[in-house]
Formats: sequence, C-alpha cells, structure tokens
Amino acid sequence: MPGDHRRIRGPEESQPPQLYAADEDEEPAARDPTRLRPVYARAGLLSQAKGSAYLEAGGTKVLCAVSGPRQAESSERGSGPAGTGGEAPAALRGRLLCDFRRAPFSGRRRRAPPGGGEERELALALQEALEPAVRLGRYPRAQLEVSALLLEDGGSALAAALTAAALALADAGVEMYDLVVGCGLSRAPGPAPTWLLDPTRQEEERAAAGLTVALMPVLNQVAGLLGSGEGGPTESWAEAVRLGLEGCQRLYPVLQQCLVRAARRRGAAAPP
Amino acid sequence: TVEPLEYYRRFLKENCRPDGRELGEFRTTTINIGSISTADGSALVKLGNTTVICGIKAEFATPPTDTPDKGYVVPNVDLPPLCSSRFRSGPPGEEAQVASQFIADVIENSQMIQKEDLCISPGKLAWVLYCDLICLDYDGNILDACTFALLAALKNVQLPEVSINEETALAEVNLKKKSYLNIRTHPVATSFAVFD
Repeated sequence: MPGDHRRIRGPEESQPPQLYAADEDEEPAARDPTRLRPVYARAGLLSQAKGSAYLEAGGTKVLCAVSGPRQAESSERGSGPAGTGGEAPAALRGRLLCDFRRAPFSGRRRRAPPGGGEERELALALQEALEPAVRLGRYPRAQLEVSALLLEDGGSALAAALTAAALALADAGVEMYDLVVGCGLSRAPGPAPTWLLDPTRQEEERAAAGLTVALMPVLNQVAGLLGSGEGGPTESWAEAVRLGLEGCQRLYPVLQQCLVRAARRRGAAAPP
Repeated sequence: TVEPLEYYRRFLKENCRPDGRELGEFRTTTINIGSISTADGSALVKLGNTTVICGIKAEFATPPTDTPDKGYVVPNVDLPPLCSSRFRSGPPGEEAQVASQFIADVIENSQMIQKEDLCISPGKLAWVLYCDLICLDYDGNILDACTFALLAALKNVQLPEVSINEETALAEVNLKKKSYLNIRTHPVATSFAVFD
C-alpha cells in the first residue's frame, strides 16, 4: 500500500485470477451432517515458545503458541474480595492476551498483513472462550500471551484456533480447570434448516449462517459461543448448539492422547 | 549459563560447538513442499529448530509505467510474536524490515526469476507474486531459512494459463492448465559469525 514504508512496495492494487476464470467451483457433495473431519493434533513443537500446539482438521491448519506469564503492562488495579483456594483478589487476577492472525496465503484471496477488524473480533472471541478455563487467579498481576496463526483456512478456523490455543496453554503448564474444545457449524441457505458440523471452506462460503461453540468437556460447560447469519427459528439454533457440543465431546479423546504424547516426549527429552 | 563467553570458548578449543556440531556444519535441514493448498506455491523449511514457511499467491496487476513489460515479485518477511518472545505484535519491526529487504535484494540480484516472464500483456496485465515468509520458530539464522523457503516455494508455484480475449480485452484464465515458473538461478544463503 502507498503509505507503508515498512514493507516492500508492490502494485497499488491487484486482482486474483479466480475473478476471470471461466468455470465455477463445484457444489460441495452431500454428506452426513454430523461427520467430523479427522484431526491431527500435536503439542510442544516450537522451541522458543513456552507452550505450543498445531492442529490440522481437513484443510484447516492452525499453529498456536503461548508465552508468559509475564509482568502485566498496565497496573491500575484496586483490591477486591479474595477468591477461594488462595487465589488473588478479583482485581489482581492475571490477564489473557489473545492474538489471532491469518497468514496472507491462507484464504482464496491474499489478505495483506494488517488484518483489520475481523481478526480483532476473533481474538476477542478466543479470549472470552479461554478465560473460563484458565485459573487466572493463580497468576496475579501477570499476563499470558496466546498467539494463534492460521496457515490455511479449510473451514471452521475459529474452532480449530480455540482447540489449538487450549492445547498450547496446557502444554505450557498453565493451570487450567479444563481444556476448551471448539466446533464449527454452518447452515446452507434454503428452506429446510440442516446444520452441518465442521464445515469445509466451500460449505462455509455458501452458508446462510455460521456458528462456533466452545465447550469444556469434563465440566460440561459452554465456554464460548459465536454465531451470525439467518438461522431460522430459535429451535434451529438450539439444535445447532446441541450438535456442536456433541462434536466437541467426540473430539476430546484425540486431544487427551495428544497431550499425553507431548508429556511423554518432554519427559524423555529432559535430562535425567 | 553464568559465563556464556567462557562456555563457548571451552567448546571452540575442541573445534566444536555446544550442540555437538563442527564449526562448518549446518543443522539438520528438512523441507516440506506444497502443503498449503490455498497458496499457489508453498514450502516449509526447518534448519534445526528455526522454522520458516513461505506461501506464494499470484495475482493480476497493471505493470509499472516505467517498465511495462515486467511483473512484480513482492517479498514480505513476518516475525510474529509466536516465533519468539522478543517480538511484539504490530507493524513489522526493524529485524523484519531488514529481512524483507534482504530477500528483495536476493531476488533482484540473483535474477532467479526474470520479471519479463511474469508479463502477460505489456502495459496492460502482468502477474504479481506475493511471497509471504512467516517465521514460526526463531532459533537463529533466519535469513538462510528464508532464502531456502523462498526458492523452494517459487519452484513449487504453478500459474494458470492466461490469454487476453481480443474482443472484450479481458483476461481469460484457465485454472485447469497450469505450468511451473522458470527459475533461472538457485541462490543459496549461508551465514557466518566471527567469534572473538
């Protein structure tokens, strides 16, 4: 862009070749609405981060890293009632700073690096969903930084980022009440509202409504919910949430396995 | 380590380094090509722990007015906070800018890709290759890893066939027919440090 001296200059504007392509994308094939794509999860892969996790579900690839706890930057805290279990008073609790970014090559169209509003909204959604799970009272006046990087968007990006972020926090040894598992849903346009679990990018692009649910599986509590679009009657949204929560529960054993493997690897690598 | 210089000197006396390498030895290098399907070309390079991923997206643009027969190659190196705690989120810091400029110079000086090859119709339409390099793990020697990732990704890029329709003067893209780029030279970067 013209005023940005910090990056190498390119053309003023550019268009993707897909705009001029003759053929359209094929319609996504009909499929079982409750199918979850196979997930590959690995924790503890970055050497410089305190905790990290990589999650791959279908075409969606997300990498998440956690650093901290570090001294919190702002210090305008008062005092308040102390929490239970030796935790700090409410006003002195730790903070979770989340950052969500999309790689420029992650979507169909290239997105120039300064992400803009959507990334901030998703970062806020990440923070809201992860806060209930982390024992922030045990990190007074400290901040934990969670950064999620979306390498390829194959659908349900926010859900994958949520799951990866929770795995990274667990890998970093941050005290948590439970993991957070995310699941995406979308509803195709049309009269009959069928919600599809774990949509692919094509299904998401054609969707009339989308929803991401975040669940804490063991406590069975919903940690976050973000949805938008025309979902039809209220029962339809309730049905979607129920479907999403089931999906999260089914995903949980894979994540447990991943953390156990990472802990074993860490144990084997540490000097005796 | 309490005395980092002394620690290093002890190893250098035996002509090796703390991780067991010889003085002229590279770390284990692995490369994974073409894993990002949304990008036109991609490569992931690991030099020991240092990990860099390069994704290339090709778009159309009008060629620059002073050189109407050339396309663009726009590199961008990103050092996000997830690769190391020394980086903060926000606009590119000094190190990222230096790295981006280094990669731009390597592309220009090595002539690895002739910008004339990227021109489709002089003065009207040319390809612009946005080369985005993201460091995922910063464990030193970032420039070598970036150069390697860029080269591998460029060799992986497949551009669809484009023709200009004479009547409508619009481009017609055939996504089914793709061809590789013509990479003329293969620059390889090696970094050295002088100790004491």
